[in-house]
Amino acid sequence: MKALRAQAYTIAMAWLHGLLLLGSGIAAATSVEVAVVDRNAEPVAGVSVFWHPPAELRRTAAVGATAVMDQVDTRFVPHVLMVQTGTSVEFPNSDTVAHHVYSFSHPNHFKLPIYKGNAHPPVTFSESGIVILGCNIHDNMLGYILVVDTNSFAETDEHGIARFTIGEPEGEIAIWSPRFRDDPELLVKPLDPASAGDVQIGFQLSKALRPAFDEETKALSWTDY
Amino acid sequence: MDRLLILPIAVALLAAAASGAAAEPSRYELELGADISFIDASGYETWTDGGPGKLRFDDDNDGFVLSRAFADYKLRMLDTVDARLVAQFFDNGVGSTVDFTEAYLEWRPMTATANRYRVKLGAFYPHMSLENSGPAWSSPYTISSSVLNTWIAEEIRIFGAEVSVSRRPQFLGGAHTFSLQASAFYNNDPAGGLLAWKGWSAHDLQSRFGDKLPLPPLPQIQPGMWFQRQAPFIEPYMEIDDVAGYYASGEWRYGSRLLLRLMHYDNRGDTTGFADGQYAWRTVFDHIGLQVTLPGDIGLIAQWMDGYTLMGPVINGRNVVDAGYYSEFLLLTKAFADHRLSLRYDRFEVSDHDGVPLDDNSEYGDAWTVAYQYEASRFVTLAIEWLQIESYREAWEYFGLEEVETESQFQMSLRLRFGSGP
Repeated sequence: MKALRAQAYTIAMAWLHGLLLLGSGIAAATSVEVAVVDRNAEPVAGVSVFWHPPAELRRTAAVGATAVMDQVDTRFVPHVLMVQTGTSVEFPNSDTVAHHVYSFSHPNHFKLPIYKGNAHPPVTFSESGIVILGCNIHDNMLGYILVVDTNSFAETDEHGIARFTIGEPEGEIAIWSPRFRDDPELLVKPLDPASAGDVQIGFQLSKALRPAFDEETKALSWTDY
Repeated sequence: MDRLLILPIAVALLAAAASGAAAEPSRYELELGADISFIDASGYETWTDGGPGKLRFDDDNDGFVLSRAFADYKLRMLDTVDARLVAQFFDNGVGSTVDFTEAYLEWRPMTATANRYRVKLGAFYPHMSLENSGPAWSSPYTISSSVLNTWIAEEIRIFGAEVSVSRRPQFLGGAHTFSLQASAFYNNDPAGGLLAWKGWSAHDLQSRFGDKLPLPPLPQIQPGMWFQRQAPFIEPYMEIDDVAGYYASGEWRYGSRLLLRLMHYDNRGDTTGFADGQYAWRTVFDHIGLQVTLPGDIGLIAQWMDGYTLMGPVINGRNVVDAGYYSEFLLLTKAFADHRLSLRYDRFEVSDHDGVPLDDNSEYGDAWTVAYQYEASRFVTLAIEWLQIESYREAWEYFGLEEVETESQFQMSLRLRFGSGP
């Protein structure tokens, strides 16, 4: 529920941001539609798609922007969370057991004291990059926070499509997933500043996806004794 | 058991437990369990009463019984240090009704590197079984453990230290975890004696630190025979030769999809050692374990073990007891909402290489287990299991029994669980 609410909040903020831009007449919003397919041309869901704007258009989130990375059944939920720089991420623990969440990813490294429930103030991620999350008690827990310099981002749906708006058709569109084996440099496409109207971009992966890491399974127990 | 080593650990943990009881809730986890069972068994008299049977129960036990109770307590003394204490109740006359099966400290330092370290100190199970991942080393799939893990529960425990290092290589996407364990231990010199002289078994018992595991009335341990100094039981957790044993293991894991474990164990027992009615046995084995989620969300667990155990002086190029052994099993399991079905097939063998008369320990056999569980709530599970084990054991001839016997055990358990467990 909390995650949904946070997502709704993020979307609302994006809308608000877009409206403000429109209202101020600084820039007309450009709609971007990105399609991601694997090497067999099958759509790939759950891919993080985001705008990588030129330096002068990079923005940090408004003060008070929040998102939630929960822990449920000794898994990070969601497995991948995308946020804008400056966003405060809450780490509630919905499990009955304690967790000890940390990340050694530079420059966004942090560690929370061991806890149950909603015991800590949120962690604010002020630098863009990939934050790999772990739990010092449950070695198998793995999660990601993708911190980007924009609020123009979305995750691909079951049709492999992500839609969002950007201020100007400048900079690049990038895609990321922990399941990608492709060279990250191939997963970025430049925007054409001369283009008018909405932008459609397609990505086809050249290498097979890694199997999903953490599919919900009840067949076996994966906890260590 | 060498009380000298374990007593300080137990006292420290009990003190920790007492001080921890008042600690804030996030500082400890306590899981309590009790299994009330209905039994219908057939076969030879159970080994737990000194008989030759391979199962925990025989037809004398038919009816209702409190088959097991446990307390699994974990205290987070510091953010990176846990104390764990596991006490179990088994009312089968092999020791005190309640005693400990594990007591150890675990340190999980936060190092700002790609390597993760773990240090265990105390008495604990080796990093090995894929079956016994529940509280107090119970199996989430069946009531009785596989033949292979039943032996681990009977005779193997690490009284010492284990260091583990693991790493998630980023070039593989960070989702693969590789780890290595190295351990040195004492207090496991008689291990292997029960396997040679009683053979493989299948049940849900776990030896506690002070347990005395009965041997069948073998001719070779009677007065005037080769091994007359042997007590009529094996006390697995004794230090006899003051030589440390070791094990080394490795693991590859991919999320909740694949887990592969390899291990080499050597208790480095001095085969001429003897103390307090117990011989030291040199027990060595290799182990491979595989756990995979198959398509259709079917879980597969397979474990394989091969090794040997030696005891006594070398005569004509062989120790007077020289036995090779192996066991393997395959378990398939599937959960349907709150219901679970599991099927397991076990094979086992002991081959006697010494040729000492009236001490033929050879045996072979296989076992089938079918289990159903219904988790009615977090607190109550109904578990039903049917287990059949067919064995050929040479030594049964010494008791005037058939060398081939099929034993079976039906068990229906109401498993009660309380607490904030994992």
